[in-house]
Amino acid sequence: MTSAIVWRRRRAAAGRLWDQFRSQRGGLFGLVILAVIVLLALLAPVITDPSGLDVTHATGGALKPPGDGFLLGTDETGRSVLLLLLWGSRVSLLVGFAATLLCVGIGTIVGIVMAHFGGWVQAVLMRVTDFFLVLPSLVLAAVLSTVLTPGIGSIIIAIAATAWPTTARLVRSQTLAVESRPYIERSWALGAGHWHVIGKHVLPAVLPLVFANTTLTVGQSIITESTLAFLGLGDPNSASWGEMLHNALQVGAVTARAWWYLLPPGLAIGVVVLAFMMCGRALEAVLNPRLRER
Amino acid sequence: MRIRRLGIGVIAMGVAILSAPVVHAQDTAQPKILRVGVTGTYATMNPFTAYHLGDTEVGRVMYAFLTSYSQQDYSPAPGLADKWQVSSDKLTWTYHIRSGMKWSDGQPITAKDVAWTFNKIMTDKTAATANGNFVTDFDTVTAPDDSDVVIKTKAPQATMLALDIPIVPEHVWSKVTDVGKYDNLQYPVVGSGPFTLTNFTQGQSITLKANPDYYGDKPAYDQLEFRHYDNEDAAVQGLKNGDVDVVSGLTPTQYAALQNTPNITVNKARGGRQNDLLVNYQAQTNTNQPVGDANPVLKDPKVRLAIAQSIDVKTLVDKAYGGLAEPGSGMVPAVFGTWHWSPDASQEQKFDLTAAAKTLDDAGYQKGADGVRLDKSGKPITLRLVIDSGVPNENASAQFIKGWLGQVGIGVTVQALSSDAVTDAGSKGQYDLQLNGWTGNPDPDALLSIQICANRPDADGNGNTENFMCDPQIDALYKQQLSETDQAKRVKDVKDLQARLYSLDSSIVIAYPNVLEAYRSDRWASFGLQPAQGGSITHQNGYYGYLLAKPVDSAAAGGGNTGLIVGIVVVVVIVLGGGAFLLSRRRRASADERE
Amino acid sequence: MTTPATAPELAEPGTAARAGGARYVLGKVGGAVVSLFVVVVLGFFLFRVLPGDPIRLMSRNTSVGTKQVAELRHQFGLDKPLPAQFADYVVALAHGDLGVSLKFSRPVSDLILQALWPTLLLVGVATLISILLGLWQGTRAGWRRGTGFDRFSTGTALALWSAPTFWLGMIFLVVLGSWFPTQGIVDPDTPAGFLPQFLDVLHHLTLPCLTLVAVLYAQYLLVMRSSVVEEMDADYLTTARAKGLRDDVVRSRHAVPNALLPTVTLIFINLGFVVGGAVSVEAVYSWPGLGLLLYQSIADHDGPLLQGLLLVLAGAVLVMNLIGDLLLRVIDPRVRAA
Repeated sequence: MTSAIVWRRRRAAAGRLWDQFRSQRGGLFGLVILAVIVLLALLAPVITDPSGLDVTHATGGALKPPGDGFLLGTDETGRSVLLLLLWGSRVSLLVGFAATLLCVGIGTIVGIVMAHFGGWVQAVLMRVTDFFLVLPSLVLAAVLSTVLTPGIGSIIIAIAATAWPTTARLVRSQTLAVESRPYIERSWALGAGHWHVIGKHVLPAVLPLVFANTTLTVGQSIITESTLAFLGLGDPNSASWGEMLHNALQVGAVTARAWWYLLPPGLAIGVVVLAFMMCGRALEAVLNPRLRER
Repeated sequence: MRIRRLGIGVIAMGVAILSAPVVHAQDTAQPKILRVGVTGTYATMNPFTAYHLGDTEVGRVMYAFLTSYSQQDYSPAPGLADKWQVSSDKLTWTYHIRSGMKWSDGQPITAKDVAWTFNKIMTDKTAATANGNFVTDFDTVTAPDDSDVVIKTKAPQATMLALDIPIVPEHVWSKVTDVGKYDNLQYPVVGSGPFTLTNFTQGQSITLKANPDYYGDKPAYDQLEFRHYDNEDAAVQGLKNGDVDVVSGLTPTQYAALQNTPNITVNKARGGRQNDLLVNYQAQTNTNQPVGDANPVLKDPKVRLAIAQSIDVKTLVDKAYGGLAEPGSGMVPAVFGTWHWSPDASQEQKFDLTAAAKTLDDAGYQKGADGVRLDKSGKPITLRLVIDSGVPNENASAQFIKGWLGQVGIGVTVQALSSDAVTDAGSKGQYDLQLNGWTGNPDPDALLSIQICANRPDADGNGNTENFMCDPQIDALYKQQLSETDQAKRVKDVKDLQARLYSLDSSIVIAYPNVLEAYRSDRWASFGLQPAQGGSITHQNGYYGYLLAKPVDSAAAGGGNTGLIVGIVVVVVIVLGGGAFLLSRRRRASADERE
Repeated sequence: MTTPATAPELAEPGTAARAGGARYVLGKVGGAVVSLFVVVVLGFFLFRVLPGDPIRLMSRNTSVGTKQVAELRHQFGLDKPLPAQFADYVVALAHGDLGVSLKFSRPVSDLILQALWPTLLLVGVATLISILLGLWQGTRAGWRRGTGFDRFSTGTALALWSAPTFWLGMIFLVVLGSWFPTQGIVDPDTPAGFLPQFLDVLHHLTLPCLTLVAVLYAQYLLVMRSSVVEEMDADYLTTARAKGLRDDVVRSRHAVPNALLPTVTLIFINLGFVVGGAVSVEAVYSWPGLGLLLYQSIADHDGPLLQGLLLVLAGAVLVMNLIGDLLLRVIDPRVRAA
């Protein structure tokens, strides 16, 4: 009975949120772009023939400009850049989402534990968080991606390992704010346990803002992945946009002025990051009414 | 309003005053400078500890060697020694040092300096860091007088005319207490080569001045500079801008793109490097302890044969190397023609995917459900192919190899690692296949020594060979050629060794990449190539590229003018813009106050 | 990397209220010192688990024998057990000795000092320009929220911020490379003397600085913009307007100084991070700073150098955060009084 009411209330709240989000034109625009890109990524195996990714079957000439059946020209081994771009989106988005999920998971747990339990737990965790926060993230990611067995999984872990402290601190301060409200004290007084307070009160209050904040992390993760690839720490089995750029730069596409090879992956990263950014800002504006247009 | 005009006047006057000395400096006679854009590591100028390729190249122009390699064809040529003789038991070598040579500080160069250098390397472990391998079999090195050096070896050694050791001045280095900590940057650094080091700025540039005391030909210009780029495309842009005159290490794409650029001439040289695919099938330490985690299926020579048959070196050369390489066969690169071996029709393991599949079929490796063959225990055969993520064409090569092996039913996972991780995996035997490469010397000994049992890494991975070759036949041939001083017989031994190696499919040689360079032909007319026909300007086994560079007669040698002018313009724009902005704000602010 | 929308965390009001000024400062400094020590310890062990053997790397592609390799390993103390290596390291560190770089055979502290000023120059100039540009555009965009100027400036900043730094650098290299040097900090042939050297450095600085500014300034713009938006409807601004002051004056004399507060902390937090973030810019333009050194030490697995750099970079972040915290307390009366 009560849970039904709670659900109805939550659904209504979500509906309101969506209405407000829709009024944010930038956010909506970003969401549409993201939807299109995710759809293309998911449909890549259906609408294209993956055998074109195998260099031994490549039909085009080396680094040919657009035309001749290749909408975006070819890479140095004669593969279609458009095909690489489509398939690259799958890897890049996977890295972005997986790293973010991991980062939000770690960050939320650490953040809530810090704020909720306080005392020495907080002191210790705070130092650890600080350690990861002050380490140059690129160094840590670079070191980790060499330590772990090479592969896309290690890259995801490396990115998440450097991104979680920001989330943890955000969650911590939000939790502190929530837990200082009177209704939590009432809840304690009524004999609620840790799990109840965290699960029923803290999480629902904190998560939306964390969500808004982490849309940005997806974009950042994609950028970090491409930077790791640029530094030669990527995974050549997973042809992400970053790997594409890495290859383009390595063969000297800049000198060859092969814009059709250099621009698409970079622009694609930019567009996706920007789209996430717009969504995130819109969400934040919805959740943080002070920023909303009055 | 008045304030603003005054401000602009002051700024303009300032710019005029400040730029005067710059313009003036351009008027004075400029030294002719050869600027080389380089991308490799230049870590130290101490010849005893300099092991990076770039460092040794600078070492070659700073210091003369006992003997050198001819520009024509790498044959042994005089260096500090103008003649030499060997005893009949081939154990005692006597070198005659030419007379009248001087160090760049005016002191005479004598046999004592040579003996001191060798003895230092033989007695001081740190001094042996870079070149210790040359002296391991030396018994004694003495200088009975100022013009003779006598080297006694414990066993006959075929490399006595290929001792790539910079000879240093005893009167400078005998005062150095700890060779490992000495940076050798007391300018001008006392040397004996065609150029004298006058500045080394780590990670930025190296400046050398022509050495008037050099015993040989004098360079036709005043100064040689190496400028460090971390990004090859930036180096090419620097060449186009005229910031540098020569750029080496171009990728095939860059080479093709520069071919039709005005004022720039490209140079394609046959390279002294071989790139190969290592197949890890017998990883054992130098004490015969098995190491590593290679797929045991590789122990089957049929599987290795099938791999060799699945690799089309011609397509790799065309696609992964942009056609700018020679297809590989023997271990010794084709440019060292005397020692190079290639298979005849009966020995050749031709690229033929059908034949490769048949080889595997005959050996009993059946395809599983997903098209991947199963090994004898029924597991799908998947091999790790380790590559260096920093080497441009390795990824492309790996993708082709993966494609072909996939077609014959062998799965491949590519692992791109940083170069240190590649080395680590290599010397611990933790790979199945690995793309590797070695730069050869005019004397084949160094390349061949990689293939003997004694040079396998120890249990900790110490040692620097990564293919774990150990074969009695190869060991015997290696020993034979090392002590063989009859050239024709040694050539036969060397070729037999390569044939045996080829038949084992342990190192499948893919290509001998060309050395691709470009230079400003509006400033430089010619360079001393080595070998003289189709050779390279940089990365020689000599210094002819720099020594014999001829500037174009009426060339405007300076390159910095435009740069400085643009720099001035930028400053002016920023200062003017900033000044105008501030002034306009002040004006507005004061207007507000008045309200 | 800091995300632009992350508002800087304010000093915790709770602790500040309880602690007096001196205790607050001591607490903050103490925390930073502890963090630095954690960096020393974890940093040391982090690099010990790295694969790859520095000695073998040193001897790669040369024909150094097995015995020599073992000798070199002994020389660098790499054959000792880990705790002993750690003790050696801490003792040396206490004496200001960061060890010797394996790749360059030179003291790490020398290398870092040498690379320090190019990085300070690049990062300093880029940050200064970013702050000025970001604050200026952010103020205007916030003040005229929703106008064409707001959309255009915010949009441009976000688009530039969204691109990978190294890619942007390469694009600038292609487009502007003909007019600017693409390597180093100064041409070795530039005549000595302050002015020519100064101009040449400026000339070399242009492209790397431009790239860094393009990526950085969005953060300042966004924070300033939202901060101005928050201040806009504050009562004191209504009062100021009611006094009949012009809109410009209300903005520059009243709104901006208050809106600047959150930005100050952001500036200091970012200052620390920017050095690490300059890696790709320095690698693209071969700018001989800490970032390039870092890039090279990663590529060559130069343990002592990496460790030294990590310490310096982490230390920079800690110090900057500390300054940011303390400064905020000084300039924002609300934090002090709370």
